[in-house]
Amino acid sequence: MSNQNITIGLNTPEFSGNTPYGNTSYLRDLADLGGVLQNIGVNTEQPSGGFFGDILGGLRDIGSAVSPAIPAIAGSLLTSEAYDRLSDVGRQAEASAMGLAERGLAESQFKPFTVTSTTGSQLGTRVTPSGAVETTMGLSPQEQAMQQQLLGGAGDFFGQAQMPTVAREQAIFDRMRAAQRPEEERQRLALEERLAGQGRLGVSSAAYGGATPEQLAMATAQEEGRNRAMLGAMQQAQAEQAQQAGLGQQFLGAGYVPQAQLLAATQPAQRLAELQQQAQLYGTGLFGETAMSGIESRLLAEQARANLLGGVGSNILAGMFTPQVNQRTGDVTSAGGLGDLGGLFGGVSEGLGTIIRGIGGIFD
Amino acid sequence: MAQELRSINLVAPAFKGINTEDSPLAQDPSFAETADNAVIDKRGRIAARKGHEVTTTNKTALGTAALRAIKTFRDDAGNTKVFSAGNNKIFSGTTTLVDETPAGYTITADNWKMVNFNDRIYMFQRGYEPLVYDNTSADVEAMSDHTHSTGVASTMYGNEVLAAYGRLWTADFTNNKSTIYWSDLLNGIHWSGGTSGSIDISKVWPNGYDEIVALAAHNNLLIIFGQHSIVVYEGATSPASMTLSDTVAGVGCVDRDTVQYTGTDVIFLSQTGLRSFGRTIQEKSMPISSLSKTITKDIISLLQNEAAFYRSVYSPEENFYLLSFVGQETTYCFDVRGTLEDGSYRVTRWPGSLFTAYETRRDGKLFIGTTDGISEYKGYSDNGVKYRFKYFSPSLTFGDPSRLKILKKIKPTLVGANSATVFMKFAYDFGTSFSTTEFTVGNQQPAFYNVNEFGANSVPLSEFTGGELTNQRSLNAVGNGTSVVVGLESDINGFALSLQEINLLALIGKTL
Repeated sequence: MSNQNITIGLNTPEFSGNTPYGNTSYLRDLADLGGVLQNIGVNTEQPSGGFFGDILGGLRDIGSAVSPAIPAIAGSLLTSEAYDRLSDVGRQAEASAMGLAERGLAESQFKPFTVTSTTGSQLGTRVTPSGAVETTMGLSPQEQAMQQQLLGGAGDFFGQAQMPTVAREQAIFDRMRAAQRPEEERQRLALEERLAGQGRLGVSSAAYGGATPEQLAMATAQEEGRNRAMLGAMQQAQAEQAQQAGLGQQFLGAGYVPQAQLLAATQPAQRLAELQQQAQLYGTGLFGETAMSGIESRLLAEQARANLLGGVGSNILAGMFTPQVNQRTGDVTSAGGLGDLGGLFGGVSEGLGTIIRGIGGIFD
Repeated sequence: MAQELRSINLVAPAFKGINTEDSPLAQDPSFAETADNAVIDKRGRIAARKGHEVTTTNKTALGTAALRAIKTFRDDAGNTKVFSAGNNKIFSGTTTLVDETPAGYTITADNWKMVNFNDRIYMFQRGYEPLVYDNTSADVEAMSDHTHSTGVASTMYGNEVLAAYGRLWTADFTNNKSTIYWSDLLNGIHWSGGTSGSIDISKVWPNGYDEIVALAAHNNLLIIFGQHSIVVYEGATSPASMTLSDTVAGVGCVDRDTVQYTGTDVIFLSQTGLRSFGRTIQEKSMPISSLSKTITKDIISLLQNEAAFYRSVYSPEENFYLLSFVGQETTYCFDVRGTLEDGSYRVTRWPGSLFTAYETRRDGKLFIGTTDGISEYKGYSDNGVKYRFKYFSPSLTFGDPSRLKILKKIKPTLVGANSATVFMKFAYDFGTSFSTTEFTVGNQQPAFYNVNEFGANSVPLSEFTGGELTNQRSLNAVGNGTSVVVGLESDINGFALSLQEINLLALIGKTL
């Protein structure tokens, strides 16, 4: 079959962008995630220590307010906050991972495509509601007509090949005998004339089947000719039968050529579809990995913040029960303990307000 | 003035045999107008034939019928047996005829032909199942009764049978006159299978139609005699492949029993006389080949009147071929030692012969079948009955048929004829009233004296005589005429008679 230029069109809207992988949702999601992460790190655009400065400032305020009793309270609160925050970060990471998995699953699904050859035949694929992949092939009207003709011919040839050969043998034998008979008659007449000339027309010899040696030889030769014709007719009929079967086989094979050519024509498209699928899978995997990296980074950050909060709280609590030594003067200030709780709440509330605002900025 | 007697000497009169075809006046005096019961003897003279002596002493089974076939069976072991047929029976033996007819085998005709072939003797007759005899079974039996016979059917119950080229050949069937059957090779009782076969020559007859009468084998040829034509095949040693060699139209064979082999020729009786096949084939022309030109009309007359059957025999010892018209009791004797200028055999006639069968034996004896049984051709009487020897010259004109001849003396010279009365007859001018003068030959007995002078085994003892009587007589004759016929008659009864010469003395008279 002659090669034809086959135009392969893929209905992959995702590939219709200017970039090979442009406008894919997961890329957008990656961007979004990057934004989030950037948001997470936005505060890093602030002068280093601003965020923590607020918190520390607040704490310092609180500490100043509640100092020396307040630090114990603040330390306890921060530790509790770190503990709670670690639990929230785990749940959010799980939810994000599940969402990412579902999205990856959706993105890795088979994308149906259709192949149309230059002769008009088509190969279509679709995913059924049940999830199965269904393939449909359609030939052009000319090809269908040709296919029907060839398959019909194959059926006829096979039907003829299955017919008994007796009648055909007889027909061939009759034709062969019809061709032989005139010469046999001429030979018979010639022999008859020879025998008549020799006065032997009436000879009958038991040794020669009731005839003359010449007559027996001629009869034998003619019978051999008849036998050969009979065997030849049988062989010819069988050859014709085999020929019919062969023709049927050829017609049958030719009948499927349009379909085979259609399938052959889909090979490049299938390769392209595979490439698309591979790219899709690759993108999905890349998206998943990237997303998971972000999540992990966030988890690490949150874990670090929680640890930091926990460490701050612990330090506060430790300071509250530790005497203060002025290095310059060498004065020792005794630990406040729980005696200064009177001025605690004003400074604490202000300091907490500052801390909460700083933390709230993280999740905005 | 008295005239001188003219002597006309008829030396060895009739040594050319009978001639009834040429004009009497123009004939050579060596011919005879009549030569009855005569043969041409060893010296070329006309002489009385031999008679027959009956060998059979007991012919009870034969009754009053005549034997119509005689054949001697002989096989390789040297066994011999003489078979004969007559009175609707098959006989064996020569002195006593023993009925050998197979039990239950009914015969109503005696026209058998018997042939020896490969240690068996076969007997064929039209419409009858062939009979066969061999020394093993020692019985004559119908062919189909033979243990190993095959293919014996009524279609091959032929009248003619020939043993030649390693087979039996048979033809002339009741309802088929153009087919010849042949047996298997060397086996005359196998008529199917092997190399047996047949040929239908109905499309071969040169005249369109004919009927097979006889078969003969000669010069590696199979000769098929029709009634009016002859067909010759060559290569009969392989019958299936034998081919037509020649056909002769207008010459046929009258009867199968007239065919005889002389060694160089096959002699047969055609519708116009005796013919030789060899010459017929050579010349391919009917008139030239006749062996009986001197008696053609006589034979044709006999043929036309023959209602019984024919018998013939060739005897090399006697140098003759005998042809008997049995129904007319006439036998012609053809001397085969030589032919005349026209190719004919010298022929004499044996009227009143009651010979009905012949058989030439290996020892040279000639068996003759008669109502008395089996006889042997010997002696000079027919079983004790005399027969008359006759000689009549053609009309003699002495070279001048216009002048009158006056016979004065007749001087015959006879050899033998002891004590026989001889009648000399003469007539003038074609007359049938003969003047007769008779004389009796003296009875001369050899003077043997029973003395063996020249040897102990000298037989016969013939010291003083030759043992053969020669008689010369001078008889007066009367009358006159322009032509003269001279005859001699004598009854043969025990002694031979040869006519050496006849000397006529006549006066030649005026011209008439």
